[in-house]
Amino acid sequence: MLGKRELEEILAIALQEGGDYADIFLEEKSNNVVSCEADRIERINSGREAGAGVRVLAGDSTAYAYTNDLSLPALKEAAYVASKAAAGREKGVTEIDLRKREPQVDFAITRRPELVPVEEKVEAVVRGNRAARAVDKRIVQVIVGYSDVRQRIKLANSEGDLVEDERIRTRYLVHVVAAEGGLIQTGYEAIGGLAGFELVEGDEPELLAERAARQAVQMLTAQPAPAGRMPVVMAAEAGGTMIHEACGHGLEADLAQKELSVYTGKLGERVAAEIVTVIDDGTLPNKYGSYRFDDEGTPSQRNVLIENGILRSYMYDRLTAARDGHSLTGNGRRQSFAHRPIPRMTNTYIAPGETDPEEIIARVPKGLLVKKMGGGQVNTTTGDFVFDVLEAYLIEKGKITVPVRGATLTGNGPEALQEIELVGNDLGFGIGTCGKDGQGVPVSDAQPTILIKQLIVGGTG
Amino acid sequence: MRERELAHWVVAKGQEKGAKLIEAFLLKHKSFSVQVHHGKIESIKQAQEAGLGIRVIIEGRMGYAYTSQLDTAPVEEALSQAIANANKTAADECNILPEPADQLPKIDIYDPLIEKTPVEEKIELAKAIEEAAFNYDRRVARSEQAAYEDTVYQVAIVNSRGIDVSYQGSFCGGSVSVVAEENGDTQTGYGMDFVLNFAALKPEAIGREAGEEAVAMLGARKVSTQRVPIVMSPRVAAQFLGVLVPALSGEAVQKGRSLLAGKLGEAVAAKDITLIDDGTLPQGINSSPVDGEGVPSGKTVLIEDGVLKSYLHNTYSAAKDGTRSTGNASRPSYRGTPEIGPSNIFLEAGRASREELLQDISQGFYITEVLGMHTANPISGDFSVGAAGLWIEKGELAYPVRGVAVAANILELFQGVEAVGNDLRFYLGYGTPTLRFRPLPVSGE
Repeated sequence: MLGKRELEEILAIALQEGGDYADIFLEEKSNNVVSCEADRIERINSGREAGAGVRVLAGDSTAYAYTNDLSLPALKEAAYVASKAAAGREKGVTEIDLRKREPQVDFAITRRPELVPVEEKVEAVVRGNRAARAVDKRIVQVIVGYSDVRQRIKLANSEGDLVEDERIRTRYLVHVVAAEGGLIQTGYEAIGGLAGFELVEGDEPELLAERAARQAVQMLTAQPAPAGRMPVVMAAEAGGTMIHEACGHGLEADLAQKELSVYTGKLGERVAAEIVTVIDDGTLPNKYGSYRFDDEGTPSQRNVLIENGILRSYMYDRLTAARDGHSLTGNGRRQSFAHRPIPRMTNTYIAPGETDPEEIIARVPKGLLVKKMGGGQVNTTTGDFVFDVLEAYLIEKGKITVPVRGATLTGNGPEALQEIELVGNDLGFGIGTCGKDGQGVPVSDAQPTILIKQLIVGGTG
Repeated sequence: MRERELAHWVVAKGQEKGAKLIEAFLLKHKSFSVQVHHGKIESIKQAQEAGLGIRVIIEGRMGYAYTSQLDTAPVEEALSQAIANANKTAADECNILPEPADQLPKIDIYDPLIEKTPVEEKIELAKAIEEAAFNYDRRVARSEQAAYEDTVYQVAIVNSRGIDVSYQGSFCGGSVSVVAEENGDTQTGYGMDFVLNFAALKPEAIGREAGEEAVAMLGARKVSTQRVPIVMSPRVAAQFLGVLVPALSGEAVQKGRSLLAGKLGEAVAAKDITLIDDGTLPQGINSSPVDGEGVPSGKTVLIEDGVLKSYLHNTYSAAKDGTRSTGNASRPSYRGTPEIGPSNIFLEAGRASREELLQDISQGFYITEVLGMHTANPISGDFSVGAAGLWIEKGELAYPVRGVAVAANILELFQGVEAVGNDLRFYLGYGTPTLRFRPLPVSGE
């Protein structure tokens, strides 16, 4: 990658038309995928990509130019194209003196994936496949995927910051299909982290595969989920999709500033029940959404978004922080060099409370227990959200009874947060790729076992 | 074209290194986008990108590698990596590469005007989209953003069996998201269109659609849990079609993850349903002379009058089934192996107007927006999604409704189509008219 002197030269070109701020983001990424389906290793795919993007801010507008030609002339050309954001302004001479910034947190990677022989990765996949297939005869297909990504970034900006970071992420997923008498059901489990191959060492592949397989088989005999409004208990192990959708997205500053969020203008106000505290923390050790620096070179940090029910902060990138006169929160992220940074979540969770999870279930006369959540979506303007349920059970008279399938839960963000009645003393994480404005970034989210007074269960029963 | 030479070089070099079957896929594109917010430019993006994917098959074992750096050293490294990867996968005699075709369909998918039009005009177009949304009604209070974007791309595919094709294409599109406001109630609306020809992009229509949708939803209520007939707008029906399509993949059928497995020749949908995939469709956003492996694009009737006629195939799944590829090797990027996907897939239009579809419904739900469509399970076919739209009373659209959920199985849904509208519309590669369905459970209060 380019040296300090060349980066300074590129930034000077980017600002030659009088822009307020410029940065250049250089990225090198290598990626390995091993996947198994139909009981055999079908695909091994390895790739390398590199590219750079130059951004110029001028007033409220952003110009972004990117290329995967990393030669100095190509990058100067990109800087020249981006500099036009400020066309028509008074031109200025900018002196940039880049200084390297050191990270405030560090993450240990025990086994770097590039040093792990491909045979071991294949073996981890084969073991998951074998374990899933051994669970039940009704399992008709098992897909196991392992992937590792090494992303190295370098960011230099006109404030003089020079930041380098390396992010190693590993992911392992198991998808199981079970069939009986024309009915097909599926089970899904995934783990991922800012971690190396250690993520899938030990008996992790077997445990994950067996869980996914049991889920698929159980859903064959599950009865259709009920339809209508009822109390819902979400187990800690269900993951954090609900909090991600119900309030996370609405607290991203770009949406809030454009008055496209139900949480716009509510800083300091009560937006959730008093027992609810929501935190976004990019510094958590080895979680899927963690990093040392965000994609604008800001150190990651722990941000309390909602404290005992009171809205405390939005999540900012550089552009939105400047607009609100707020300090940087380390939430400026991008999918790759081909995208401009926008405010995004990292690892978002509801802080654990005091109630014993079993006691929470015992308190529900009739309701739904969500054991595993899938994906979700939110309309931040109205606050309406949905999230998919992969595994659920009926609760009757405080006891877990029969499994049910085919339900999505629907609610409204602020209403649902007000109606959280109990918060457990446990905490469980889930991982995912969060999509916004056509950009996908790795995130994790978590929650303790919670009881929500009522949500709409979209079943057919 | 330098890219084509590089592809030839890779194929020759790979054969030298012992990869008897080898394919090089090169993609190069230039794109532009602008986003405006309340009449001002919010961001402008200009880019160029290129990449090469190498697929090798050695004694039935397939390996893949890719690189975005097209210099000799990284390309050679990718080639060695693809060969190394092939040595660790399992053999399958159906891993083969296609042969060249005698003739390729002649279709026009490149509009020089997209590249020639000055940036200023494109910015004005984005502004015009937003303005049209605001002009629709004074209750349209804010916009999230309005955008224009375009891409011009070149593809080259060369393989060791003699395929040697390259082509150029382009497309452009516009979109806008707006918020309407009245008496403290806020509702959102969205408009979007993607086309092959610059002249076909109509900013007024995109803006109006967004404004109309947001305003129509003002004052939305909730309804109680009940079972009523459902009508879907083309945009919503196209999203549901997207859940059915994976079941048509020949590979999904072979691997036991399709609801349509073993059903060729059987009635799988209502008799008014005819589903077609056409990679040569004039003005089709996904039209191209060849698919992602260089097999000529074609037209495939998948479901005819409700009866399942064919699956979608690439070269691998066709070999498994002892049939011919339908030209549906999908390859959105150079980063992956060719999988199976639709090109332009659509339900043939019927005769009824939207009014006629509604007229004899005493109580029903006309869905214009769904939330969480990506959570539908294309393998089991089960879906449960958040929905918003307009309540139907006595054959007319009566009042807006939101915050409800609709659940069913995708096959049951398409078996329950009662009538097909005459207003076929495409949303990216998916086209459907307005559809009317038998009663489904709507979960509410």
